[in-house]
Amino acid sequence: MKVQCELCPKLCLIEPGQSGECRVRINIDGVLRSVVYGFPCSVSPYDPVEKKPLFHFLPGTRILSIATVGCNLHCQNCQNWEISQANPEESTAAFLPPERLVELAKKNNYLSIAYTYSEPIIFYEYTYDCAKLARQANIRNVLVTAGYINEQPWKRLLEYVDAANIDLKFISEDLYWRICSGTLKPVQNSLIAAKASGIHVEVTNLIIPTLNDKPEQIRELCRWVKTNMGSETPLHFSRFFPQYQMRHLPPTSPKTLDMGREIAISEGLNYVYIGNILSKEGQNTYCPGCKELLIERSGYTILQNRVKDGCCPKCSKEIYGVWR
Amino acid sequence: MTRRKFIRKLIKAGSVIVLGTSWPVRKAVPRKFVRAIRLEKYPGHLRPLRDISKPSKWSG
Repeated sequence: MKVQCELCPKLCLIEPGQSGECRVRINIDGVLRSVVYGFPCSVSPYDPVEKKPLFHFLPGTRILSIATVGCNLHCQNCQNWEISQANPEESTAAFLPPERLVELAKKNNYLSIAYTYSEPIIFYEYTYDCAKLARQANIRNVLVTAGYINEQPWKRLLEYVDAANIDLKFISEDLYWRICSGTLKPVQNSLIAAKASGIHVEVTNLIIPTLNDKPEQIRELCRWVKTNMGSETPLHFSRFFPQYQMRHLPPTSPKTLDMGREIAISEGLNYVYIGNILSKEGQNTYCPGCKELLIERSGYTILQNRVKDGCCPKCSKEIYGVWR
Repeated sequence: MTRRKFIRKLIKAGSVIVLGTSWPVRKAVPRKFVRAIRLEKYPGHLRPLRDISKPSKWSG
């Protein structure tokens, strides 16, 4: 008997013995099974939270980061394609059920766990159960996701999530479809729902030369973020490097990234960053009120953090984020 | 044939049709799931945690 997976907008109809597009949700005897539950292919104890990137969430802390293989999108530019586009049969993983993951985090005094690298939505049940247990143990949960999920499971998961960095890859249905085999609308809905749920949200946009690097495209994206998520939402413009099926394009020039940042600031976004490249101005946090330097960064390293009780020390303006 | 007999036959025929078509329809309509059930056995290679627990080369 066929099964239909209603987790993400792809609504895969799966024949017996076959998997959905994500490769990890399989129809076995008419029942949908997750083959990666409890089997991460990567567990990194060393990541700084700034790498996710989250610049306004417990800055300067390490975050226990896990991923399984698989993804429901197939972005031609994927930087982690070796795991996101891998078949579970050909992959290597460790057995780490939710109880052991949370134990590991507790033992090593982690403040938070990140579900990241590939796509936490496709290992939904594992993410959900880990997040629920972590919450009970007072450990925060972070999603790094493309946000390609249906509303009902997304809202249920958000109950146990503290922060998310969500990709807004393009502001065009056509590009989402051509480059990532996805659609824009569900991602926009996920962004809005995440923000409305009260969790901490930061947005990442990878600027790819010739695809989404035109000023009008960047302006449209910034306007959408400001209108739908608020001017306080941190926006990260990330540098593209030729990867996977997109090796024919050059890396994004530093000039284009600076231009993106300038456009975003001129559109009224308060916290705009540049990533995947060293940039002095583009990695620091400034107070949107008095322009005081609040957090100075060099790469993922915090050189100084002057945010005091979540506020600017000079003008006392509240700074969006989770600071302790 | 009395009216009562005719109605009885009609009901019988209707039941046969309903039962006969419901099985293939049930087969054809997929079962819907949001949550998947965990599979106990990993289809790939398993390694001890310390072997995969290292500085990540992955982005994000």
